[in-house]
Formats: sequence, C-alpha cells, structure tokens
Amino acid sequence: LFFSYFKDLVGREVTVELKNDLAIRGTLHSVDQYLNIKLENTRVVDQDKYPHMLSVRNCFIRGSVVRYVQLPPEEVDIELLHDATRREAR
Amino acid sequence: MAVGLRHFTARAGNGSGEPILDADNGEELVHVQPSVSVAVGDRAPESPGTLYITTRQVIWLSELDREKGYAVYFLSLSLHAVSRDPEAYPSPCIYTQIETEADEVEDESKDSDSECSEVLDLSKIREMRFIPSDANQLDTLFQVFCECAELNPEPIEEGEEEGHNWIFSADQLEDEAGAGDDVEWHFSQNPTNTIGHSNGHHDLASSVLELQINDQRFEDAEEMEQDSDTGHHHQSQHLQD
Repeated sequence: LFFSYFKDLVGREVTVELKNDLAIRGTLHSVDQYLNIKLENTRVVDQDKYPHMLSVRNCFIRGSVVRYVQLPPEEVDIELLHDATRREAR
Repeated sequence: MAVGLRHFTARAGNGSGEPILDADNGEELVHVQPSVSVAVGDRAPESPGTLYITTRQVIWLSELDREKGYAVYFLSLSLHAVSRDPEAYPSPCIYTQIETEADEVEDESKDSDSECSEVLDLSKIREMRFIPSDANQLDTLFQVFCECAELNPEPIEEGEEEGHNWIFSADQLEDEAGAGDDVEWHFSQNPTNTIGHSNGHHDLASSVLELQINDQRFEDAEEMEQDSDTGHHHQSQHLQD
C-alpha cells in the first residue's frame, strides 16, 4: 500500500526524518518496494549533527533507516488513507 | 554480516590486487573505479586507491599500502549522495552515512581520537566520502551505489513486508510517543484503526477481530475515529468481558 502511496507523491516536496535524527528535505524522485527513497535537491533541515550533508544534489536513503516521511498536507487525504489501510490489514 | 565500517585486507595474490569476494554466496564485482580517495569520518582523504563495488559491499583498497583497505556492507549504508557543494566539502565526492551498532549512543568524541591515534576504531565511523579523481564519474558511481543498495534489502524477519508496523496517522504517532503502557495501546488502537493489526499477538487479534466486526455494525465509523477516547474505553470494557 505505501509503496503505491509514495509513488503518487513522486515530484512532491517531502521531509524524510531518519532514525539517527537527521531530517532531509527534498523532492521525492522515486521510491521502491522496500521504500528506499531517492530525493533530489536535498537540503538538511535544522540539524547540527551532520552539517556536511548540506545541499547534496541527489541522495538515496535506505528504507530501513527512515523513521518518518513528512508529507505536504495538501497531498494527504486522511479518510482515504484510513480506509485503504483498514482494507489492507484485513 | 558485520555492521559498520571494517578493515579489509583480503586481496587476491595474483597481482591484480583485487579484493577476494564471497563468491560462494553469490557476491560479484559490479564496478571498479581506480583513482579514488577515501575520507573516513573527519579524517583527511587517503589516496591513491581503487574503489570496488560489489553486489554486497563497497571496498576501497589502497594502492600504496597493500595491507590497507576498508569495506562496508550496503546493509550498513544508511544513505549515499552526490556532494558537489564546496562549502560542504572541498572536493566533489560520494558522501555516505554508515549505520553503526551504537547508533543510539551519542558519542561526542567519535572522531576526535582518530586524528592522533594510529589504530582507528572503524566501527564508530558514521560518514565516509569517496573522492574520484575524475568528478565526471560521480553520477555513475552514485547510480552504481543505488543499484547495489537495492540489491540488499533488509532481511525479513517477522514477515512485515506489507508494512503492518507502519504508522499511518498523526494520532497514532502521538500515542506512541507518549504511551508507557504497551498493552493498553494495543487494545485502544486496534478497535479504532486496523483490524487484525496483530503485532505478534495473533490469537488475540483474531478474537479482537470478531468483536470488532460486531461492534462496527453498531457504531458509526466516523464517530469512532473522532471519539477515540470514548471508543477506547468502550472497547476495553468489551474485551474484558
């Protein structure tokens, strides 16, 4: 479900927060079935922990290290998501 | 498979100096990039060397010192990126972050010792850069890193392929952050969110499932979502019966 959900978000700005607390903002370039994420035009949000990562152009983030993906609110239809996930879990 | 950065010294004796791979388990060489320097953590770049990318790991072997080499499994690479910003780092490079075993432990001095000591504790290294002498190769290298990383998904242990453990609402996030009582969370969340969201308690989930179907016939679905508190109390009473 989430793979197809993220596929629909390709091209949008998202912020990915990793389990090591790093938050990266960028345009969602692509996502795969393991929810590995490729971002473009990335920049680090507010974090001092990894300053060297400022403005890399593209990055590939392993799905397993992602803690959250922050989505643009206008892209999120909560009711639809709720229904779809309920259906998926049956 | 070892987590984190490791020393790698196993080279073929046939003069090619290529790394010895785990061919029995299907490891293959995917890409070789000569004239690459490597900068481990905050240390100065080491060169010259050759980068070997295999289906399982990234290996850098020094050309000067035949005993020196580093390797990291793709499973340990949290992310990789093309870094071209001179303010971030003077040379264009592939920047990688390495997941270490002690990632939860905040170690302020992680790299400060490495400048002075000969013996470097690689397992604490969290960043590594590969600096090709030819910056035009960066995009190719990035692509190869992507392809090989995709070949190494997390080994599936619990059968969570379908993302049963995914968080899918902000409410759930808050609960998770504040909740101290796990058992209560399962009870309260199951009725209002997914059916059969078992988290390992399979039998419990199916009994919850049966009750859930009964309840949902009576309740308006929308009401349940909004009034998660009253819903939760209501449900736990049922379950105790």
